[in-house]
Amino acid sequence: MFPHEEVTMTADPRALAELLEESQDTHADAMRPTHEALDELVDLGHSSASEDATANRAFHEEHQRSLRTSIGGATLLGAAGGAALVGVLASAASAASSSDVQILQTAASIENLAVATYKTALTLPYIGGSSANPVVTKFAQVTMGQHAQHADAFNAAVKQLGGKAQTQPDPAFVPVVNKAVKGLSGVTDAQGALGVVGLAMELENIAAETYVKDTVLAKSSTNKALFASIMGIEAQHVSVLLAVQALLKAGAPQLISLAPGTAAALPAAAGSVGFPNAFYKTNSAAPANQGAVK
Amino acid sequence: MSKRSKSQKQFAGTEGELISMTRELDELHHDVGMPIMAAGVSEMIDSMGAVPQATNRQTSRRTFLMGTGAAVAGGAALFAVGASPGLAAAATRGEARLHSVSSVDAAAFPPSDLKGDLAVAAVAASLENLAVFAYNAGINAALAGKLGAVPPAVKQFAVTVKSQHTQHAAAWNGVLTGAGKKKVTITNPKLTPTVQADFAKVTDITGLAQLALTLETIAAQTYQAETSMLKSSAAIGLSSSIQPVEMQHIAILYYVLGEYPGAQSSAGTPLAFNPTSQAV
Repeated sequence: MFPHEEVTMTADPRALAELLEESQDTHADAMRPTHEALDELVDLGHSSASEDATANRAFHEEHQRSLRTSIGGATLLGAAGGAALVGVLASAASAASSSDVQILQTAASIENLAVATYKTALTLPYIGGSSANPVVTKFAQVTMGQHAQHADAFNAAVKQLGGKAQTQPDPAFVPVVNKAVKGLSGVTDAQGALGVVGLAMELENIAAETYVKDTVLAKSSTNKALFASIMGIEAQHVSVLLAVQALLKAGAPQLISLAPGTAAALPAAAGSVGFPNAFYKTNSAAPANQGAVK
Repeated sequence: MSKRSKSQKQFAGTEGELISMTRELDELHHDVGMPIMAAGVSEMIDSMGAVPQATNRQTSRRTFLMGTGAAVAGGAALFAVGASPGLAAAATRGEARLHSVSSVDAAAFPPSDLKGDLAVAAVAASLENLAVFAYNAGINAALAGKLGAVPPAVKQFAVTVKSQHTQHAAAWNGVLTGAGKKKVTITNPKLTPTVQADFAKVTDITGLAQLALTLETIAAQTYQAETSMLKSSAAIGLSSSIQPVEMQHIAILYYVLGEYPGAQSSAGTPLAFNPTSQAV
């Protein structure tokens, strides 16, 4: 266990104290391209209203198959899943919805799960409490807010296409996350922080990989642009969490800091641990209709 | 001990663990990432519809894979376009060999024989070449002691990122050669003068990191913008597999600079949606 005094570090007050306040101001600016894109999406949605139901069903069936791959592919999130989930989850997807609606609903379900996970994490003393590293706390708060914005954007796109907003978390991963959270009971602060970081990293990576794949699967260019505007943000979350995880594992939580001079003290490996692959993979992507509304 | 002094305490004793972790990640990259990339590019070549003959395509695939291997090994040789003496000289002092400094009109790039997705591939390759060139110049300037003290993590960052950009360039050039076109071996003509000017002003690691941040941001936003403009699914897939990696580079650069490690406005406010205002 790391002593609390080592976990609590100085953050850059200028950079961090104003983040959440400013976020509200810039949210509208950042969302403007999304709203403009949604206008195009409405047109596309109307034109695709007569989309062949057979094609939708084929999309649904194809992703039922890929669902099995997804559950087996994820590490922590896949380990506690198992094939028993497949039947339950497959029935959740609606073969009547257009493929883009299903993709968007699944994306919203992943975002909902991420919001819930960060919200829970922030109730833990070593993430959101007095013993937490302030940089980690602010990261969790900002990231939770970003996921909420992502969910809103995906659901806005769904509704404008005539679909139902997805307000529930991804059903495939909920029991796994719940189990992981229960597993944090009774652990040390250091173990707990590592557990939360690991879980968050998996969720973020699934989101990033899913959206990378969705840029190909989505039919409308507007939806492609929406996924593209978010996938890199999730990848950045992964990158930060990889770096935090490495520093925690190395027993150097004091280097999780934005204070001037920190970079000079970082070990060499910290310079590359945040981007392990030159090309982002998609083998852990969630099946495109996994979180579709029935 | 104050919080500040603790935060700057030199890391010691666990370097081996981090190095081991990095080695595992690197091995994972070569085991998983490269085959996936190669497969994706092969698929892209198939779907581009610009390859005259199947035999040519097969040859091109082999050529691409060989080229990728050479690039990973650090043997890429770039032809810089209009590189400034400082940048060119810095880049020459190292593994990258500057064979030619010539002038290409930005308006004439990409070449007129490249249309659609192939034109995008050419621009992407030129951006990656520029990034490789800039990182190489920065590394060599640092090694020459011109940028002051260089933190180990910053050096590791530059070397690793340069390798990844080299692989990105090789992937796009694999697409071009797979379609029977010439590789793009020049740096992006539109941006090179600006990078030249900016590099000439770099006097320390912070300045270099800020220049790198600009290049990575342009690359990430360009790929992002391309996602909704490309026609080939495989091209979209390749572009989308690179954009998040450039975004990760950005996150770590911000961290090194002591700023919030993510996409942000000019005022430093984190953004939930990455913009495309700096795309080329």
